[in-house]
Amino acid sequence: MSPALPALSPGLILAGAVTAAATSLWLLLPRGSESRAARWLGLLLGAAALAGFVATGRRLGGLGEESVFLVVSLVAIVSGAATIVTRSPVYSAIWFALALAGVAGVLLVLGAQFLGVATIVVYAGAILVMFLFVLMLAQPSGLAPYDRVSSEPLLSAVAGAILLGLLTLAIGRLSTEPSICCAVPSRSAAVSGTVPVEPSANEAAAVVADPLANDQVARLGAELFGRHLLAVEVAGVLLLVALIGAIAVVSRGEAALEEDRRTAIGRASR
Amino acid sequence: MMPFATPLLAATSMALLQNALIVGAILFALGLVGILTRRNLIVMFLSAELMLQGISVSLVAWSRHHGDWGGHVLVIFVLTVAACEAAVALVFVLQAFARTGRLDAAAWQALREAILVRSVDRELPPSDAAAASWPRLTPAGVLPERTADTPLEREHV
Repeated sequence: MSPALPALSPGLILAGAVTAAATSLWLLLPRGSESRAARWLGLLLGAAALAGFVATGRRLGGLGEESVFLVVSLVAIVSGAATIVTRSPVYSAIWFALALAGVAGVLLVLGAQFLGVATIVVYAGAILVMFLFVLMLAQPSGLAPYDRVSSEPLLSAVAGAILLGLLTLAIGRLSTEPSICCAVPSRSAAVSGTVPVEPSANEAAAVVADPLANDQVARLGAELFGRHLLAVEVAGVLLLVALIGAIAVVSRGEAALEEDRRTAIGRASR
Repeated sequence: MMPFATPLLAATSMALLQNALIVGAILFALGLVGILTRRNLIVMFLSAELMLQGISVSLVAWSRHHGDWGGHVLVIFVLTVAACEAAVALVFVLQAFARTGRLDAAAWQALREAILVRSVDRELPPSDAAAASWPRLTPAGVLPERTADTPLEREHV
Protein backbone atom coordinates (compact mmCIF):
# COMPACT_ATOMS: atom_id res chain seq x y z
CA MET A 1 0.00 0.00 0.00
CA SER A 2 2.63 2.47 1.05
CA PRO A 3 4.74 3.71 -1.87
CA ALA A 4 7.84 3.82 0.34
CA LEU A 5 7.73 0.05 0.89
CA PRO A 6 7.03 -1.46 -2.52
CA ALA A 7 8.63 -4.82 -1.70
CA LEU A 8 6.46 -5.58 1.31
CA SER A 9 3.05 -6.98 0.65
CA PRO A 10 0.12 -5.56 2.63
CA GLY A 11 -0.42 -8.91 4.33
CA LEU A 12 3.15 -8.94 5.56
CA ILE A 13 2.83 -5.38 6.88
CA LEU A 14 -0.41 -6.31 8.64
CA ALA A 15 1.11 -9.43 10.21
CA GLY A 16 4.12 -7.45 11.40
CA ALA A 17 1.96 -4.69 12.82
CA VAL A 18 -0.29 -7.12 14.68
CA THR A 19 2.69 -9.01 16.12
CA ALA A 20 4.34 -5.77 17.16
CA ALA A 21 1.10 -4.62 18.78
CA ALA A 22 0.76 -7.83 20.79
CA THR A 23 4.40 -7.77 21.93
CA SER A 24 4.23 -4.10 22.85
CA LEU A 25 1.03 -4.59 24.86
CA TRP A 26 2.59 -7.55 26.66
CA LEU A 27 5.71 -5.52 27.47
CA LEU A 28 3.69 -2.52 28.64
CA LEU A 29 1.04 -4.28 30.71
CA PRO A 30 1.75 -4.44 34.45
CA ARG A 31 3.45 -7.75 35.13
CA GLY A 32 4.86 -7.13 38.58
CA SER A 33 8.47 -7.06 37.46
CA GLU A 34 9.21 -4.47 34.85
CA SER A 35 12.49 -3.00 33.78
CA ARG A 36 12.82 0.40 32.19
CA ALA A 37 14.34 -1.11 29.06
CA ALA A 38 11.35 -3.40 28.56
CA ARG A 39 9.00 -0.42 28.73
CA TRP A 40 11.02 1.53 26.18
CA LEU A 41 11.08 -1.50 23.92
CA GLY A 42 7.32 -1.77 24.33
CA LEU A 43 6.85 1.88 23.40
CA LEU A 44 9.07 1.45 20.32
CA LEU A 45 7.17 -1.64 19.22
CA GLY A 46 3.90 0.18 19.77
CA ALA A 47 5.07 3.03 17.53
CA ALA A 48 6.10 0.46 14.91
CA ALA A 49 2.67 -1.17 15.12
CA LEU A 50 0.98 2.20 14.69
CA ALA A 51 3.15 2.93 11.65
CA GLY A 52 2.19 -0.45 10.23
CA PHE A 53 -1.50 0.26 10.69
CA VAL A 54 -1.12 3.69 9.10
CA ALA A 55 0.54 1.96 6.11
CA THR A 56 -2.35 -0.54 6.00
CA GLY A 57 -4.94 2.23 5.87
CA ARG A 58 -6.04 3.77 2.59
CA ARG A 59 -5.46 7.27 1.35
CA LEU A 60 -8.35 9.66 1.86
CA GLY A 61 -9.21 12.28 -0.70
CA GLY A 62 -8.27 15.63 0.74
CA LEU A 63 -5.05 16.40 2.54
CA GLY A 64 -6.87 18.30 5.29
CA GLU A 65 -9.37 15.53 6.00
CA GLU A 66 -6.63 12.93 5.93
CA SER A 67 -4.34 14.72 8.37
CA VAL A 68 -7.19 15.52 10.77
CA PHE A 69 -8.36 11.92 10.69
CA LEU A 70 -4.81 10.68 11.27
CA VAL A 71 -4.29 12.95 14.27
CA VAL A 72 -7.58 12.24 16.02
CA SER A 73 -7.42 8.49 15.43
CA LEU A 74 -3.84 8.36 16.72
CA VAL A 75 -4.94 10.29 19.82
CA ALA A 76 -7.79 7.82 20.35
CA ILE A 77 -5.65 4.71 19.85
CA VAL A 78 -2.62 5.84 21.86
CA SER A 79 -4.72 6.99 24.80
CA GLY A 80 -6.85 3.85 24.57
CA ALA A 81 -3.69 1.76 24.86
CA ALA A 82 -2.48 3.94 27.74
CA THR A 83 -5.85 3.40 29.46
CA ILE A 84 -5.26 -0.33 29.74
CA VAL A 85 -1.52 -0.32 30.47
CA THR A 86 -1.32 2.43 33.11
CA ARG A 87 -0.81 1.16 36.65
CA SER A 88 -2.75 3.82 38.50
CA PRO A 89 -6.51 3.55 37.85
CA VAL A 90 -6.94 7.31 38.23
CA TYR A 91 -4.47 7.92 35.42
CA SER A 92 -6.26 5.19 33.53
CA ALA A 93 -9.53 7.12 33.79
CA ILE A 94 -7.85 10.33 32.68
CA TRP A 95 -6.27 8.61 29.68
CA PHE A 96 -9.73 7.29 28.89
CA ALA A 97 -10.99 10.89 28.84
CA LEU A 98 -8.34 11.70 26.23
CA ALA A 99 -9.36 8.62 24.25
CA LEU A 100 -12.93 9.92 24.35
CA ALA A 101 -11.72 13.23 22.93
CA GLY A 102 -10.04 11.32 20.09
CA VAL A 103 -13.15 9.25 19.43
CA ALA A 104 -15.24 12.43 19.37
CA GLY A 105 -12.82 13.81 16.79
CA VAL A 106 -13.19 10.67 14.66
CA LEU A 107 -16.97 11.00 14.90
CA LEU A 108 -16.73 14.64 13.81
CA VAL A 109 -14.61 13.68 10.79
CA LEU A 110 -17.22 11.07 9.96
CA GLY A 111 -19.85 13.81 9.99
CA ALA A 112 -21.61 12.89 13.21
CA GLN A 113 -21.60 16.30 14.83
CA PHE A 114 -24.27 15.61 17.40
CA LEU A 115 -22.70 12.30 18.44
CA GLY A 116 -19.27 13.86 18.80
CA VAL A 117 -20.59 16.49 21.16
CA ALA A 118 -22.79 13.96 22.97
CA THR A 119 -19.79 11.69 23.51
CA ILE A 120 -17.90 14.50 25.19
CA VAL A 121 -20.88 15.64 27.26
CA VAL A 122 -22.28 12.29 28.32
CA TYR A 123 -19.14 10.17 28.56
CA ALA A 124 -16.45 12.61 29.62
CA GLY A 125 -18.83 14.86 31.52
CA ALA A 126 -21.01 12.37 33.34
CA ILE A 127 -19.88 8.75 33.15
CA LEU A 128 -16.16 9.42 33.58
CA VAL A 129 -16.74 11.77 36.49
CA MET A 130 -18.79 9.02 38.12
CA PHE A 131 -15.89 6.60 37.63
CA LEU A 132 -13.44 9.08 39.15
CA PHE A 133 -15.81 9.66 42.05
CA VAL A 134 -15.95 5.95 42.83
CA LEU A 135 -12.17 5.68 42.43
CA MET A 136 -11.60 8.47 44.93
CA LEU A 137 -14.01 6.78 47.32
CA ALA A 138 -12.53 3.34 47.01
CA GLN A 139 -8.91 3.64 45.98
CA PRO A 140 -6.33 3.04 48.66
CA SER A 141 -3.41 5.46 48.61
CA GLY A 142 -0.44 4.43 46.56
CA LEU A 143 -0.39 1.59 44.09
CA ALA A 144 -2.36 -1.45 45.18
CA PRO A 145 -0.67 -4.80 44.53
CA TYR A 146 -3.46 -5.89 42.20
CA ASP A 147 -2.75 -2.87 40.00
CA ARG A 148 0.86 -3.94 39.58
CA VAL A 149 0.11 -7.39 38.19
CA SER A 150 -2.32 -8.53 35.54
CA SER A 151 -3.73 -11.97 34.92
CA GLU A 152 -2.33 -13.73 31.84
CA PRO A 153 -1.09 -10.65 29.94
CA LEU A 154 0.58 -12.69 27.19
CA LEU A 155 -2.51 -14.77 26.38
CA SER A 156 -4.83 -11.77 26.31
CA ALA A 157 -2.46 -9.70 24.18
CA VAL A 158 -2.22 -12.57 21.69
CA ALA A 159 -6.02 -12.98 21.68
CA GLY A 160 -6.52 -9.28 21.05
CA ALA A 161 -3.92 -9.31 18.27
CA ILE A 162 -5.56 -12.29 16.55
CA LEU A 163 -8.97 -10.61 16.72
CA LEU A 164 -7.48 -7.38 15.38
CA GLY A 165 -5.70 -9.16 12.54
CA LEU A 166 -8.84 -11.01 11.46
CA LEU A 167 -10.96 -7.85 11.62
CA THR A 168 -8.41 -5.86 9.62
CA LEU A 169 -8.23 -8.61 6.99
CA ALA A 170 -12.02 -8.61 6.67
CA ILE A 171 -12.11 -4.83 6.45
CA GLY A 172 -9.38 -4.82 3.80
CA ARG A 173 -11.42 -7.21 1.66
CA LEU A 174 -14.33 -4.76 1.57
CA SER A 175 -12.90 -2.82 -1.35
CA THR A 176 -12.81 -5.90 -3.60
CA GLU A 177 -16.52 -6.54 -3.14
CA PRO A 178 -18.34 -3.80 -5.00
CA SER A 179 -21.73 -5.23 -4.10
CA ILE A 180 -21.37 -3.86 -0.59
CA CYS A 181 -20.37 -0.40 -1.68
CA CYS A 182 -22.80 2.35 -2.34
CA ALA A 183 -25.57 0.30 -3.95
CA VAL A 184 -27.73 -0.23 -0.89
CA PRO A 185 -30.83 1.94 -0.90
CA SER A 186 -31.54 3.94 2.18
CA ARG A 187 -33.52 2.02 4.75
CA SER A 188 -35.80 4.88 5.59
CA ALA A 189 -36.85 5.11 1.97
CA ALA A 190 -37.24 1.32 1.75
CA VAL A 191 -39.35 1.07 4.88
CA SER A 192 -41.69 3.87 3.95
CA GLY A 193 -42.32 2.07 0.66
CA THR A 194 -41.45 5.01 -1.46
CA VAL A 195 -38.33 3.72 -3.15
CA PRO A 196 -38.32 5.58 -6.41
CA VAL A 197 -36.85 3.87 -9.44
CA GLU A 198 -35.05 7.03 -10.44
CA PRO A 199 -34.71 9.27 -7.38
CA SER A 200 -34.54 12.91 -8.19
CA ALA A 201 -31.66 14.92 -6.80
CA ASN A 202 -33.92 16.53 -4.26
CA GLU A 203 -35.18 13.27 -2.79
CA ALA A 204 -31.71 11.71 -2.73
CA ALA A 205 -30.35 14.68 -0.84
CA ALA A 206 -33.15 14.34 1.69
CA VAL A 207 -32.42 10.65 2.26
CA VAL A 208 -28.64 10.74 2.43
CA ALA A 209 -27.13 11.58 5.80
CA ASP A 210 -25.26 14.56 4.47
CA PRO A 211 -22.49 15.39 6.93
CA LEU A 212 -22.20 18.93 5.63
CA ALA A 213 -25.87 19.85 5.85
CA ASN A 214 -26.78 22.72 8.08
CA ASP A 215 -29.82 20.98 9.54
CA GLN A 216 -28.08 17.68 10.25
CA VAL A 217 -29.04 17.64 13.92
CA ALA A 218 -32.63 18.50 13.04
CA ARG A 219 -32.77 15.56 10.62
CA LEU A 220 -31.28 13.23 13.22
CA GLY A 221 -33.88 14.42 15.71
CA ALA A 222 -36.68 13.89 13.22
CA GLU A 223 -35.42 10.35 12.57
CA LEU A 224 -35.00 9.63 16.28
CA PHE A 225 -38.39 10.92 17.37
CA GLY A 226 -40.17 9.73 14.23
CA ARG A 227 -39.23 6.18 13.34
CA HIS A 228 -37.63 5.33 16.69
CA LEU A 229 -40.13 6.97 19.03
CA LEU A 230 -41.02 3.73 20.79
CA ALA A 231 -37.32 2.93 21.36
CA VAL A 232 -36.85 6.38 22.89
CA GLU A 233 -39.69 5.68 25.30
CA VAL A 234 -38.16 2.32 26.22
CA ALA A 235 -34.78 3.99 26.77
CA GLY A 236 -36.43 6.46 29.13
CA VAL A 237 -37.96 3.61 31.11
CA LEU A 238 -34.56 1.90 31.17
CA LEU A 239 -32.93 5.01 32.62
CA LEU A 240 -35.62 5.20 35.30
CA VAL A 241 -35.21 1.51 36.17
CA ALA A 242 -31.43 1.88 36.40
CA LEU A 243 -31.84 4.88 38.71
CA ILE A 244 -34.26 3.09 41.02
CA GLY A 245 -32.22 -0.11 40.90
CA ALA A 246 -28.99 1.66 41.82
CA ILE A 247 -30.63 3.39 44.80
CA ALA A 248 -32.27 0.15 45.93
CA VAL A 249 -29.02 -1.82 45.73
CA VAL A 250 -27.15 0.86 47.68
CA SER A 251 -29.69 1.06 50.50
CA ARG A 252 -30.21 -2.69 50.82
CA GLY A 253 -26.50 -3.35 50.59
CA GLU A 254 -25.75 -0.90 53.37
CA ALA A 255 -28.45 -2.48 55.53
CA ALA A 256 -26.93 -5.92 54.93
CA LEU A 257 -23.46 -4.63 55.76
CA GLU A 258 -24.77 -3.10 58.99
CA GLU A 259 -26.42 -6.40 59.86
CA ASP A 260 -23.14 -8.25 59.24
CA ARG A 261 -21.26 -5.82 61.44
CA ARG A 262 -23.77 -6.11 64.26
CA THR A 263 -23.73 -9.90 64.27
CA ALA A 264 -19.92 -9.88 64.14
CA ILE A 265 -19.76 -7.54 67.15
CA GLY A 266 -22.33 -9.63 69.01
CA ARG A 267 -20.35 -12.79 68.31
CA ALA A 268 -17.13 -11.13 69.48
CA SER A 269 -18.67 -9.84 72.72
CA ARG A 270 -20.28 -13.16 73.52
CA MET B 1 -24.16 19.40 -1.56
CA MET B 2 -24.30 15.72 -2.42
CA PRO B 3 -21.53 13.67 -0.83
CA PHE B 4 -21.65 10.55 -2.98
CA ALA B 5 -22.40 12.13 -6.32
CA THR B 6 -19.14 11.47 -8.18
CA PRO B 7 -17.07 8.26 -8.34
CA LEU B 8 -14.09 10.06 -6.83
CA LEU B 9 -16.10 11.01 -3.78
CA ALA B 10 -17.49 7.48 -3.55
CA ALA B 11 -13.95 6.08 -3.51
CA THR B 12 -13.05 8.56 -0.78
CA SER B 13 -16.07 7.39 1.15
CA MET B 14 -14.90 3.78 0.81
CA ALA B 15 -11.41 4.68 2.09
CA LEU B 16 -12.88 6.68 4.95
CA LEU B 17 -15.12 3.76 5.84
CA GLN B 18 -12.21 1.32 5.90
CA ASN B 19 -9.95 3.58 7.93
CA ALA B 20 -12.68 4.31 10.45
CA LEU B 21 -13.51 0.61 10.73
CA ILE B 22 -9.84 -0.14 11.40
CA VAL B 23 -9.78 2.51 14.13
CA GLY B 24 -12.92 0.98 15.62
CA ALA B 25 -11.41 -2.51 15.47
CA ILE B 26 -8.22 -1.34 17.21
CA LEU B 27 -10.20 0.33 19.99
CA PHE B 28 -12.33 -2.80 20.40
CA ALA B 29 -9.27 -5.07 20.58
CA LEU B 30 -7.59 -2.79 23.12
CA GLY B 31 -10.69 -2.87 25.29
CA LEU B 32 -10.84 -6.65 24.96
CA VAL B 33 -7.24 -7.04 26.11
CA GLY B 34 -7.89 -4.68 29.02
CA ILE B 35 -11.00 -6.46 30.23
CA LEU B 36 -9.30 -9.84 29.95
CA THR B 37 -6.12 -9.00 31.75
CA ARG B 38 -6.56 -6.14 34.20
CA ARG B 39 -7.63 -6.96 37.74
CA ASN B 40 -8.90 -3.62 38.98
CA LEU B 41 -12.69 -3.65 38.67
CA ILE B 42 -12.86 -0.02 37.56
CA VAL B 43 -10.19 -0.44 34.91
CA MET B 44 -12.14 -3.44 33.64
CA PHE B 45 -15.22 -1.24 33.28
CA LEU B 46 -13.18 1.43 31.52
CA SER B 47 -12.02 -1.24 29.08
CA ALA B 48 -15.64 -2.22 28.43
CA GLU B 49 -16.42 1.42 27.70
CA LEU B 50 -13.45 1.46 25.30
CA MET B 51 -15.00 -1.48 23.44
CA LEU B 52 -18.27 0.47 23.24
CA GLN B 53 -16.38 3.41 21.75
CA GLY B 54 -14.91 1.17 19.05
CA ILE B 55 -18.39 -0.09 18.21
CA SER B 56 -19.71 3.47 18.05
CA VAL B 57 -17.01 4.49 15.58
CA SER B 58 -17.82 1.49 13.37
CA LEU B 59 -21.58 2.18 13.49
CA VAL B 60 -21.15 5.82 12.53
CA ALA B 61 -18.75 4.85 9.73
CA TRP B 62 -21.29 2.45 8.24
CA SER B 63 -24.00 5.05 8.69
CA ARG B 64 -21.97 7.60 6.76
CA HIS B 65 -21.20 5.05 4.08
CA HIS B 66 -24.81 4.06 3.48
CA GLY B 67 -26.22 7.53 3.96
CA ASP B 68 -28.58 6.30 6.64
CA TRP B 69 -29.41 7.48 10.14
CA GLY B 70 -29.61 4.00 11.66
CA GLY B 71 -26.04 3.95 12.98
CA HIS B 72 -26.41 7.37 14.57
CA VAL B 73 -29.62 6.36 16.33
CA LEU B 74 -28.03 3.12 17.52
CA VAL B 75 -25.06 5.03 18.95
CA ILE B 76 -27.45 7.27 20.88
CA PHE B 77 -29.00 4.19 22.44
CA VAL B 78 -25.53 2.78 23.14
CA LEU B 79 -24.81 6.00 25.07
CA THR B 80 -28.05 5.58 27.03
CA VAL B 81 -27.42 1.97 27.93
CA ALA B 82 -23.79 2.75 28.82
CA ALA B 83 -24.95 5.41 31.26
CA CYS B 84 -27.39 2.95 32.91
CA GLU B 85 -24.74 0.24 32.99
CA ALA B 86 -22.16 2.55 34.56
CA ALA B 87 -24.60 3.65 37.28
CA VAL B 88 -25.64 0.13 38.26
CA ALA B 89 -22.18 -1.40 37.86
CA LEU B 90 -20.49 1.26 39.96
CA VAL B 91 -22.98 0.60 42.74
CA PHE B 92 -21.99 -3.06 42.67
CA VAL B 93 -18.30 -2.10 42.62
CA LEU B 94 -18.79 0.09 45.67
CA GLN B 95 -20.62 -2.72 47.48
CA ALA B 96 -17.84 -5.15 46.56
CA PHE B 97 -15.29 -2.67 47.88
CA ALA B 98 -17.23 -2.24 51.11
CA ARG B 99 -17.16 -6.01 51.67
CA THR B 100 -13.57 -6.82 50.75
CA GLY B 101 -11.74 -3.50 51.05
CA ARG B 102 -10.22 -4.11 47.63
CA LEU B 103 -11.10 -3.29 44.04
CA ASP B 104 -9.57 -6.59 43.02
CA ALA B 105 -11.51 -8.92 40.75
CA ALA B 106 -9.51 -11.85 42.16
CA ALA B 107 -10.93 -11.12 45.62
CA TRP B 108 -14.11 -12.81 44.46
CA GLN B 109 -12.63 -16.08 43.30
CA ALA B 110 -14.23 -17.85 46.24
CA LEU B 111 -17.33 -17.80 44.02
CA ARG B 112 -15.71 -20.27 41.62
CA GLU B 113 -16.71 -23.89 41.19
CA ALA B 114 -15.31 -26.32 43.73
CA ILE B 115 -13.35 -28.28 41.13
CA LEU B 116 -11.43 -25.24 39.86
CA VAL B 117 -8.04 -24.40 41.26
CA ARG B 118 -7.41 -21.09 42.94
CA SER B 119 -5.33 -18.67 40.91
CA VAL B 120 -2.42 -17.38 42.92
CA ASP B 121 -0.77 -14.00 42.57
CA ARG B 122 2.62 -13.80 41.04
CA GLU B 123 5.46 -12.79 43.35
CA LEU B 124 5.68 -9.03 43.60
CA PRO B 125 8.90 -7.15 44.19
CA PRO B 126 8.74 -5.78 47.71
CA SER B 127 9.46 -2.12 47.08
CA ASP B 128 7.26 0.18 45.04
CA ALA B 129 9.82 2.07 42.99
CA ALA B 130 7.21 4.37 41.45
CA ALA B 131 6.36 6.03 44.73
CA ALA B 132 9.79 7.56 45.17
CA SER B 133 9.82 9.50 41.92
CA TRP B 134 6.76 11.70 42.31
CA PRO B 135 7.33 15.38 41.64
CA ARG B 136 7.07 17.75 44.56
CA LEU B 137 6.03 21.37 44.41
CA THR B 138 8.14 24.04 46.03
CA PRO B 139 6.59 24.87 49.42
CA ALA B 140 4.95 28.26 49.44
CA GLY B 141 3.39 30.06 52.41
CA VAL B 142 3.02 28.59 55.84
CA LEU B 143 3.28 24.85 56.33
CA PRO B 144 0.03 23.39 57.66
CA GLU B 145 0.22 21.78 61.06
CA ARG B 146 0.33 18.03 61.19
CA THR B 147 -2.79 16.66 62.78
CA ALA B 148 -3.81 13.18 63.70
CA ASP B 149 -5.52 12.85 60.33
CA THR B 150 -2.42 13.70 58.28
CA PRO B 151 -1.22 10.11 57.82
CA LEU B 152 -4.63 9.30 56.34
CA GLU B 153 -4.35 11.87 53.56
CA ARG B 154 -3.06 10.51 50.32
CA GLU B 155 0.03 12.13 48.87
CA HIS B 156 -0.59 10.97 45.34
CA VAL B 157 -3.05 8.89 43.42
